[in-house]
Amino acid sequence: MPRAFRIAVVLITALLILGPVGLVVYQSFLSGPFFQPNSTLTTQAYEFVLFEEEDFRDAFVNSAIIAVGMTAIAVPLGCMMAFLLVRTDLPGKRFIEPLVLVPMFVSSVVLAFGFVVALGPVGIVSLWVKGLTGSIPWYLYSKTSLILIAGLTHVPHVFLYASSALRSLGSDVEEAARSAGAGPLRVALTVSLPMIMPSILYATVLVFFLGFELFGLPLVLGDPERILVLATYLYKLTNKLGTPSYDLMAVVVVSIIFVTLPLVYTQRKLLAAASRYVAVKGKASAQRPLAIGAWRWPALGLIVAWLGVTVVIPVTALVLRSFLASWGEGVGIWENLTTAHFRELMEYPNLVRGIVNTLLIATVGGALSVSFYALVNLALHRWRSRWTAVLDYLVLVPRAMPGLIAGLAMFWLFLFTPFLQPFRQTLFSLWLAYTLVWLAYGMRLVSASLLQIGPELEEAGRVSGARPAQVSRDITLPLIKAGLIGSWVLIFVTFVREYSTGVYLLSPGTEVIGSLLVSLWGTGAVDLVTALSTVNLALILVGLGLMFALGNKRHA
Amino acid sequence: MNKRLVLSLALSIFALTGEAQAQTSVPPGYPAAYAELIEAANKEGALSIYSTADAAEVSELLTQFRALYPKLKVEYADQNSTELYSRYVAEAAAGATADLIWSSAMDLQIKLVNDGYAMTYASPEKSALPDWAKWKDQAYGTTAEPIVFAYNKRLVPEADVPRSHADFAKLLAAQPDALKGKVTSYDPERSGVGFLYVTQDVQISPSTTWDTVKAMGKASAKFYTSTGAMIERVVSGEHTLAYNMIGSYVLQRNRKDPNLSFVLPKDYTQVMSRIAFVSAKAKNPASAKLFLDFILSKAGQVELARHAMTSVRDDLQETHGIKSLPGATEVTLKPIRVGPELLTYLDQITRLRFLKQWQRALAAN
Repeated sequence: MPRAFRIAVVLITALLILGPVGLVVYQSFLSGPFFQPNSTLTTQAYEFVLFEEEDFRDAFVNSAIIAVGMTAIAVPLGCMMAFLLVRTDLPGKRFIEPLVLVPMFVSSVVLAFGFVVALGPVGIVSLWVKGLTGSIPWYLYSKTSLILIAGLTHVPHVFLYASSALRSLGSDVEEAARSAGAGPLRVALTVSLPMIMPSILYATVLVFFLGFELFGLPLVLGDPERILVLATYLYKLTNKLGTPSYDLMAVVVVSIIFVTLPLVYTQRKLLAAASRYVAVKGKASAQRPLAIGAWRWPALGLIVAWLGVTVVIPVTALVLRSFLASWGEGVGIWENLTTAHFRELMEYPNLVRGIVNTLLIATVGGALSVSFYALVNLALHRWRSRWTAVLDYLVLVPRAMPGLIAGLAMFWLFLFTPFLQPFRQTLFSLWLAYTLVWLAYGMRLVSASLLQIGPELEEAGRVSGARPAQVSRDITLPLIKAGLIGSWVLIFVTFVREYSTGVYLLSPGTEVIGSLLVSLWGTGAVDLVTALSTVNLALILVGLGLMFALGNKRHA
Repeated sequence: MNKRLVLSLALSIFALTGEAQAQTSVPPGYPAAYAELIEAANKEGALSIYSTADAAEVSELLTQFRALYPKLKVEYADQNSTELYSRYVAEAAAGATADLIWSSAMDLQIKLVNDGYAMTYASPEKSALPDWAKWKDQAYGTTAEPIVFAYNKRLVPEADVPRSHADFAKLLAAQPDALKGKVTSYDPERSGVGFLYVTQDVQISPSTTWDTVKAMGKASAKFYTSTGAMIERVVSGEHTLAYNMIGSYVLQRNRKDPNLSFVLPKDYTQVMSRIAFVSAKAKNPASAKLFLDFILSKAGQVELARHAMTSVRDDLQETHGIKSLPGATEVTLKPIRVGPELLTYLDQITRLRFLKQWQRALAAN
């Protein structure tokens, strides 16, 4: 790519990130809302939050513990599952693979509620276990449960990264290790997984961040025991003071941003020698599944157990709940079955518009976002420049803002920037906010595939006389096609279930399912929430089913 | 006659009949000058409403309003009360925002009115409202919804059901073990409405309220932020008894699932109201005034009551107000005044001090 073009892309991206982030940082130094003329510059918000707020310390520590615990669970499990499902001859993997992604489709508030219905103190599974053993050996609302569930439900995020990287890896190295006598576990740990280290590291940092700004799960599961995390603390802060205090919220966000910096630094150090990970080289290499023999069954057992706890139990409970008039201790399931909630849902105003908007923003919007992420990646690709370092640091910053704050900042930008104003009440503002918040996520997916392409392929193009743009178009892009499609699937499901970011940007006509769910949850319409989630889930499963069917036909 | 002519004739007849149903003249009992307001609204041709009431709950209300004033394009956006506040304040600063603001967060609404965000408008319906439900011809209470005890009918023996605030405290004090973890309420630290109702309790009956808080601490009561989460857990039996629930949500659920029942406490039942005001920055002030009058009118109130938002009007008390609910006849109602008193606890020091006191009472055992 031409240098001028690269610089332009970097500048635009930086501007896009620094707009909302800069606004939040500025707000953190004001005494009141930035849009009110009587606000003055001060550091009192910092003094209050950092030194006087015990709750902030509590929430910060909790968030850190949850982020660490969740990463420690999700990363190894996700990597193992990716290896098993992509590289080995595990039985039934074609059916299991789409199921692995299910926790990503369900809004985390709703998924958490599924856990309450199944495993809560009077949950369906809990009561059954209690009937068998006399007591319930777990407590769903403890911090440990929260970490465990957060870890298990984020396995798919790691899985997606690791599996897309593993897919573009030739089998030659693994076969070499096998013929030298290494067992499957050893192949996974010393050959396959180290080859995709960049993807795993990215996934680790991102999952850690998702843990830091976790909202839906602690909102529901932390509610009874009042376990605070940073995102739910923002609500408490507002309520403790009576009215929303943007200056204090901004301080909380700035403090999270400061956590990102050392993380990105470490990650950059670890990845300094990116050429170690080149896997797509100028020579062709076929992919054959690795035979893992007797290991197949314990491996399958592990995956099925994970599926059971993370997917089957909460999702079944959720779907079941959507067909129940009432539930709980002393209530039979059969005599309470009903379809009334779905009939009620059909009458819900703007439901169809919400579904259409959601699909639109997830498919078309998702594709546009991925194109944007790919563009930025190509601009940075094989460019030894300080600009790359700057962007490496910047990209993760929007994710340091909890979704609600990111959405609020975008709302302010659209509201107070004259040339953006006309777009505020359109799907564009929503799309831009989604794209920005998930920038780090999509960027990493695309860059992970880019890192695996050997430079000799592109150099060959340059030598035979192609211009830089031509190399990108004719060589690099086709090579990362699988990675791009993978990113698009990820972005699609992410956009479908996204909720908090959109809250302030929605207006009549641009409703999406995610925020409809949150507003219904708020007014207590749990019947409708579960029915809508069931419909949502069905839609996504049909969509993915079609995609897989088409994909398989192509291969056959 | 050719076909096209027949068609256009038919269409114009439709148009005429449609017109006849719409409000072309002043509603009965309104001043004659009201015709000018309708005309101004028709000129505006649009109306934007921000509200905390779920769109599904008011869809019929909006349909009726649209039938009355078909020339108005009505936009309705529902959101939670904090978001509504943030959005409105920012948009007002930027210059363009919704015309009518309608929220259940009474204190935040009064703060907005007090900060000068409301337009003064004497609604022709205002004489039908009780004094507590109006302030300065700016803020209007549009509903009168009781704050109730909710309980699980399957699991709480009828004899145990507390009938008054004193009963509630006594029941908890008498059976702290049997009720361990079974009682629930809003968390005043994390929920604005929860904070409002418990501070009102303290003003009405301080000693009973603090006894109740202490007893809740002893019985390891669980405190929530979300109405839905609480109602769902009372229905399932995870909790059995809920303190200070918003009556309309409980009533809605009770109509679908009789397992959830409720009590209007006899000693006093708090009454909350959704407050509406016309925005001082309204682009369509006349349309907003028409809508405000419509929700306060008999027709609007009857429709709201159908969705369990009981009527605030004096003349509908027996049929569509709280008094029409079971067990409401011998109850003393204590409405939360729509007025500057609501600002007291928005003062940060007062607020934090109250929360400290609440925490201490909860832990005092």
